Amino acid sequence: MTKLKAKSKKTMKRMLLAVAFLAVFNFSALAEGPNAAEGKELFEQQGCPACHAIDRIVVGPALKDVTKRRSEEWLLKWIKNNVKLRQSGDADANQLYADWGGAAMNVYENLSDDQIKSILLYIDEASVPPPATEGDKKDGDVSVDQEGSFYSKTTLYILVSIGLVLLILAYVLYRLKNSMQKLVKDTEGVSVDEKPSALRKKLSKINPTIATLGVISVIGLSLGAYGFYFGVTEVGVQRGYAPTQPIAFSHALHAGELNVDCRYCHSTVDHSKSASIPSLNTCMNCHAGVQAREKYNGEISPEIQKIYTALDYNPDEMPDKRYGPNPTNIKWVRIHNLPDLSYFNHAQHANVAGLECQQCHGPVQEMEVLQQHATLQMGWCIDCHRKTEVDVENNDYYEKLHAVAKKDIEKNGDKSKYLKDGKINITIANIGGLECSKCHY
Amino acid sequence: MANKTTYWRGEEELKKTPEFLESAKNEFHESLPLDEVFSENNFELSSSRRDFLKFFGFSVTAVALAACNTTPVKKAIPYLVKPEEVTPGVANYYNSTCGACSSACGIQVKVREGRPIKIDGNPLSYSGRGLCASGQASILSLYDTERLDGPMKGNTKTEWDEADNTIKAKLASAKKIALITETIHSPSSLSVINDFVTTYPTQHIVFDPISYSGIIEANKVGFGKAVVPSYNFAIAKVIVSFGADFLGTWISPVEFSKDYIKNRIPVDGQKMSRHYQFESTLSMTGTNADIRVPMKQSNEAIYLASLFNLVAKKLGATQIPIANQIELAGNTLNNAANDLLTNKGASLVISNSNNPEVQQIVNGLNMMLENYGKTIDLTKHSNQYKGIDTEMEAFVSELEKGNYDAVIFWNSNPVYSYHNSEKLSKALSKAGMVVSLSGTKDETSELAHYICPDNHYLESWGDAEPKKGQLQLVQPTISPVFNTRQAQISLLVWANKAQKPEVDPFAGKQIMGVKYDTSIYYTYMKSVWSTKYGVQTEEQFNKALHDGVFSIEIPSDSMVSYQITASSLANGVPSKASGNDSIDLVLYQNVGIKEGNNANNPWLQELPDPVSKVTWDNYIAIPKALAEKNKINNGDLVKVKSSSFTLDSIPVLIQPGQANNTVSIALGYGRKGKVAEKGKFEKIGKNVYPFVSLASGHRQWMNNGVSIEKIEGSYELAMTQTHHTIEGRDILREATEKDFLANNAAGNDMARPHMYTVWEKHEYKRDGHPGHYWAMAIDLNACTGCGACVVSCSIENNVPVVGREEVRRRREMHWIRIDRYFAFENTDKVAYLPNTDSNFEDGFITKEKGLAAIDKKESSSGGDFSHYENVKTIHQPVMCQHCDQAPCETVCPVLATTHSTEGLNQMTYNRCIGTKYCANNCPYKVRRFNWFRYNDNDKFDFFFNNDLGKMVINPDVTVRTRGVMEKCSMCVQRIQEGKLKAKRERRQLNDGEIQMACQRTCPTNAIVFGDLNDKESEVSKLYRNKRSYHLLEELNVQTSVKYLTKIRNI
Repeated sequence: MTKLKAKSKKTMKRMLLAVAFLAVFNFSALAEGPNAAEGKELFEQQGCPACHAIDRIVVGPALKDVTKRRSEEWLLKWIKNNVKLRQSGDADANQLYADWGGAAMNVYENLSDDQIKSILLYIDEASVPPPATEGDKKDGDVSVDQEGSFYSKTTLYILVSIGLVLLILAYVLYRLKNSMQKLVKDTEGVSVDEKPSALRKKLSKINPTIATLGVISVIGLSLGAYGFYFGVTEVGVQRGYAPTQPIAFSHALHAGELNVDCRYCHSTVDHSKSASIPSLNTCMNCHAGVQAREKYNGEISPEIQKIYTALDYNPDEMPDKRYGPNPTNIKWVRIHNLPDLSYFNHAQHANVAGLECQQCHGPVQEMEVLQQHATLQMGWCIDCHRKTEVDVENNDYYEKLHAVAKKDIEKNGDKSKYLKDGKINITIANIGGLECSKCHY
Repeated sequence: MANKTTYWRGEEELKKTPEFLESAKNEFHESLPLDEVFSENNFELSSSRRDFLKFFGFSVTAVALAACNTTPVKKAIPYLVKPEEVTPGVANYYNSTCGACSSACGIQVKVREGRPIKIDGNPLSYSGRGLCASGQASILSLYDTERLDGPMKGNTKTEWDEADNTIKAKLASAKKIALITETIHSPSSLSVINDFVTTYPTQHIVFDPISYSGIIEANKVGFGKAVVPSYNFAIAKVIVSFGADFLGTWISPVEFSKDYIKNRIPVDGQKMSRHYQFESTLSMTGTNADIRVPMKQSNEAIYLASLFNLVAKKLGATQIPIANQIELAGNTLNNAANDLLTNKGASLVISNSNNPEVQQIVNGLNMMLENYGKTIDLTKHSNQYKGIDTEMEAFVSELEKGNYDAVIFWNSNPVYSYHNSEKLSKALSKAGMVVSLSGTKDETSELAHYICPDNHYLESWGDAEPKKGQLQLVQPTISPVFNTRQAQISLLVWANKAQKPEVDPFAGKQIMGVKYDTSIYYTYMKSVWSTKYGVQTEEQFNKALHDGVFSIEIPSDSMVSYQITASSLANGVPSKASGNDSIDLVLYQNVGIKEGNNANNPWLQELPDPVSKVTWDNYIAIPKALAEKNKINNGDLVKVKSSSFTLDSIPVLIQPGQANNTVSIALGYGRKGKVAEKGKFEKIGKNVYPFVSLASGHRQWMNNGVSIEKIEGSYELAMTQTHHTIEGRDILREATEKDFLANNAAGNDMARPHMYTVWEKHEYKRDGHPGHYWAMAIDLNACTGCGACVVSCSIENNVPVVGREEVRRRREMHWIRIDRYFAFENTDKVAYLPNTDSNFEDGFITKEKGLAAIDKKESSSGGDFSHYENVKTIHQPVMCQHCDQAPCETVCPVLATTHSTEGLNQMTYNRCIGTKYCANNCPYKVRRFNWFRYNDNDKFDFFFNNDLGKMVINPDVTVRTRGVMEKCSMCVQRIQEGKLKAKRERRQLNDGEIQMACQRTCPTNAIVFGDLNDKESEVSKLYRNKRSYHLLEELNVQTSVKYLTKIRNI
C-alpha cells in the first residue's frame, strides 16, 4: 500500500506540474509570434524526438542550452538546410557533421523562421530544470485504482454471500418466530384450529421416501448437468487469461493510441505459423530514442529500462554501440496456449484468408494488459470454418475449384450448390476445412 | 491368373511352423500381461464385483485428482536480437556435405529456429538427391549425450589453454610424431595437415576401417596411379560384381545407386542393364541382381580368372595359365563373358576383394573390355578412400618399438577397428603422448592422454573433394552444442598457425558467444580456395557455399598403358579350388551400421538389415546345408574359431542365399568404451574385426578355414522379417524383361477380380471433389531395399525407437517397412505349383497349397539343400495405403480415423482411445500401437529421453503418447506446408513440389508422390503405366498407393 501511495503521490505531483505548464503555455499561446507552446508541438510533429532529446544524446546531440552554444542566425540556417550550410563551407557546420560520424540531419525547408524560433524557445524553456516543487496533498484528488476491476468483482462476491447469509438468517428467524408463537399459544392453552391447506393435503399423499429421492435426483441431475457444462466450457479454457507480464507492455498504448500496425512487431504473421513475439531489437527501433523520460521526472521509464537491461545496453553511450556482453532473457508468459495436438498456422489465416488479427485476438488495441479473447476451443474453430467463405476468385491456387464452380453455375443456374444469394459461395468446410488432419497431425 | 511364384519371408513362413501360424493368427504378438500386473499388485484377474468397484472408484478418483491440476504457466522467450535469416516457425535450408562416412554426399540441412532437424540429399551434388540411412541418421550424433563437453586430460576435464600448452610443449620436443586419420579428401584439411607436418616431424598415416588398398595398389602397379577410380554405373549395360555391395556399402553407394537405377527401369524399346553378382553373403546388391551366383569366397580369384580366360579366348588374347577353370551350371560364366563382350566399353567388372593380385585380374578384365575412360575413370578418380593397409602395419610395428613420441588420432578409432587391437593398444602405451580429437570417448580416445573433442560436422566449416574436381563445402548449421573445437583449429593452434582474422567475418552475426572462434578456420579455408581454385571474391565463394558444390575442370591426361601381362596374373590365383573341406568366414558391412562408427545411433540399430531383417545385433549367417549338417537351428549359439581368433559365442541365423561352406558376420558391432559403460548400447553384437586376415599386408574381409561349433544356450534375435505378415496373399508381381518387351503388362495382366462392396450405399466417390487427390506410386524395380526411407520417415515423423526387447515382441513403430520376400530361383529341386486351374481358388493360389507342395518335394530331395543357396528376392516398401474405402475407418468406435476429401486416411491421435480395432482390420498391417509412452521414459532410454536428443524432434508433428494408434500420415504436414506456400504465393501447386520424407531421400527415386487429379503429374503417369497394380485389389479397398511390377533381366 505504501508503494501505491507513493506512486499516486508521484502521479499527483506530475499532474500538478502538467497543469502549471499548461497554464503557462495556454497563456503564452495567446501571444503573437514565436512561442514555446507552438515550439513543443512542432518539435513533436516534425519527429525531432526520434533523434534529439533535451538533456541527453539520442542519435544526435542533446539540445540543452543549444541557443547559448550557437547563434540564432546559424541555428536557423542549420535547421532549415544543414546540407546547404555545410556545402557553403561553414566551418562549424562541417566540424559538427564530422564530430557526429557523418550522420546527416534531415532538412526542414518547410519550417518558417518563426516556427524554428518557436522550437528554439521551447528548447530554452525545457533546458531550465523544473523547480523542485513538493506537491501538496489534497483529498479528493483523482487517483487511478489500477486494480479496480478485481476489487469490484470481489465486492460483488462478498455482497452476494452476505445477502445469502442474511436471507438464511431471516428464514431461521421467521421459523423461530412461528414456533415461539405456537409454544406461547400451547402454554396459554389456546387451541388453534388448524385447517390444512389444499397444497398440504396434496403433499401428504406423496410417499416421503419417493419425494426425498425425487428431490435428490433432481438436484443431482442439475448439478451433473452444470458439471458437464462447466467441463465443456470451462476446464482448460483460458478465456480472459491476462497474466502479469515481465514488462508491462500496453497494447492499448502501442496498437491503440499510437496506432502502430500489428505487423510492425508481429512481423512473421504473414509467412510463418507463429506470429512471434518480437525480438528486443524490434523494440529498440523506437525505444532507442523513445524513453518516456517526460513521464518519469527525466528518468528512463522503468519498463523501457527493462529492455535495456535485457540487452545489457547503456543508452547514455552512443546509440550505435553494440549491446553488452551480459544479456538476459525476457520470459513472457504465453497467453494463447494451443495444445500440442493441434497445428495452427498464422500465415494461413492472416495472409491467405486475410483475417483481421482482432477477429481471434479481440480488441487488442484497447487492452492495457493483453488477455485471451477467444475460447480457443475446437467448436470455436469449426464454427468459423463453417461460416467463412473462401476467396476463390482472387487466389490462383483455387483456380480449378473456381472453374468447377463457374461451370456448375452455368449448368445448373440458381440450383448450383456453389451459389448462394447470387454469389459464389464456397466455405472452408466445403473444401475440407473440417477434416481432422487439417489441424491434427 | 495369378503370379505363380511362391514368395516367403522367412523359413518359418515357408515351412508353416506351428509357432509361425500361431503368431500370424494373432494381430498382436502376445496377449496383454494383465495376470502379471495384477498378481504383482495382489489383485486377481478373476476379480469380484467388489474388486471391480474398487478399480472403478480408484480410477474415477485418480482421473478427478489428475484433472485438478492447475494449468501450467508457459513461458515464451523471443530472441534478443533476431538473426535476419531466422523466422520462427519457418525452416531454413543450407547446403553442406554429409560427414557420416567418407563418401561425402552433398546434403541439404533443414534448420528450424537454429537447430538442424533433418538432412536430405543435395540434388546439385555428385551423389544426387538421395541420401542413405546412415547419412539420414547422422543428425542424431549431433544431439548425442555421449559427446564430450570440453577437452579431457585422461579421465578428468581440463581447459583448452592447459591442454594446448602441454600438447604444444610435448610436440616441440618430439622427434617423431604420427597423425592417424581416416581418409581425408578435404583440400583445406589436407593443407592444415601439411602445415602441421612442416612444423613438426610428423608422419600422416591414413587408416580406413574398411580400406580399398587392394584396388589402389593394383592401380599403382598396373597404371602407375595409386587411386580408387570413379565408376560410372549410369552407362554400364552389363555389371559383373564379385562380392561388391555397391548399392549398400561399397565406396560410394548413394552415387552408385542413383546411377545404377538409370538402366534398371524398364521402358519400352530400351534395354535394361544386366547385373551379375557372384558372392558368398547374400548382400543387398545381390538381392537386386538379375543373375546371382553363390560363390565360395576363397575361390573368387579362380572365378575371376575363369571369366578372364573366357573373355580372352573370345578376343584371342593371352589367357591366364591356371589349372582349374570353373564351370558353372547353366553356363553362367560363359553368358557373362558374352554379355560383357557384346557391351565392350559399356560394361563393368568390380570386386570387393582387398587383395591387389585379385584386383589386378579385375583390372585386366576391364582393360580387355575397354572400360577405362568410359565406365571407369582414373583421372577424375574417387578420393573417398586412400588408406594403404601396409602403412598401418608398418606404423604399428614401429610403434611397438617405441619410436613415436606422440600419436594423434583424428577421426580414427583403430583400437576398435584394427584387427590386432590388443597389439595396437599395448604399443600405444609406448608412445610418449597420445592425443585424440574424437568427439566422444571411444575405444581409442580412452587410451589417450588428452582428448581435444572435435565439432560435429554440422557445427563445422569445411570442404570436401570426394571425386577429383568435384568440390563441396561444409557449413555450420548450429553453434557448437558443447565446448568443442574443430579439429583443424586444434592442429593449427598446435602448429602455431592459427590466425584470427583481423576483421571478424561474422561480426554482428553471432549472438551466442562461441568460445573458439570458427572464423579462424573459415578464413583459412577461404584462403586455400582462393589460391588453389581461384575463388577469390566474396561473391564467388558465397555462390559455392550456397550451392554446396563447386566443380573444376580436370584435364584428362592420356591413359598410361597397362603394365601387367596375363601370365603374371596367375600369382593371385590359388592352384586348387576350395571345396567342402573348409568353411570361409566372410566379413561384411551391414547397410545401416557400416564400419561401426555410428554404432550408437538408435535409428540405425533399429533399422532392419535389408536382407536378414535383423535389428540390434549381428549374427552369424550360415547356409541351410551347413545348418542341416551340423544340426544347428536359428537362434542357437555357436563358437567360431579361426587360426588367430576365437569368438566365444554368436547367435545363428540360417540365411537363404548364403553360399555353401561359407558363413558371414557383419563388422561394426560390439563397440566398447563410454558407449558400453553407460549400459545403453552394451552388448550390441560382437566385434569381428579380429577375424580380419592379411594378404601381403592388405586386410582381407574374410578368413579361410574357420570352424564353428554349437554351444549351449540360445538367443532370440530381434528380427522383423515375419512381422506384419500378409499370410502368403498375392501382393507381388514380377516378370522377365523378355516378357515385358513382348507385353508391357507382363506379370500384371491377370484378369481383374470382380469387385464387391460391403458399403453399397456409402461408396466413397471422388467425383465432384475438385481438390487434390494424393497418391503414391512405388516402383519395385527401383527399390533396392536400402532402408533410407525408413530412417527418413522416422526422423520426419518423430517415430520412437523401441529397442531390441520390444522389436522381439513385434512392436517396432516404423511407419514404413520394407518387406523382403524370397522365392526359389532354381525350380528343379523345389516344387512350384503348375499353372493349372485346380490349384487356383477364386483366381488365386492358396498359401496352403503352394507351400505344401514345396515342403513335400523338399523332404524327398535327400538332404540336398543347394537350392537354398540361391533365392531371388523382392523388396517391397509398405506403408499405409490410404484406402479410399478403408477397413480401419469403419471399425473405429470413436471416429479417430477418418477419410479426407484429398484421399488421405487421417489418424487423429487425440480422439484415439486405443481399441486397436483398426489394426486388426487393416489388411496391410501398417498400423502401429503405442504400447508405452516412449518419451521421457527411462525404460526407453534413447534420444526421446533427454533434452538434447529431443532437439531433433520435428516441431510440426505431434509426439504421440501411450495408448494411441499411429501410422503413415502421408507426411500430411508436408502436404499442408506445400499447399500453404502455393496459397500464399497465389499460384497453383506444382507437381513434385511436395515430397514425402521417404521419397525425398530415396537415391533411386523408387517412390513418387503427387496429385492424381492433375492428369499430367508424374504419379498420374505411373498410375497409367501398365506395370502398375494395387495391393490386394480384390478387397476393393481402393488404395491410394500403386506398385509397379518388378522386371528382371534374365
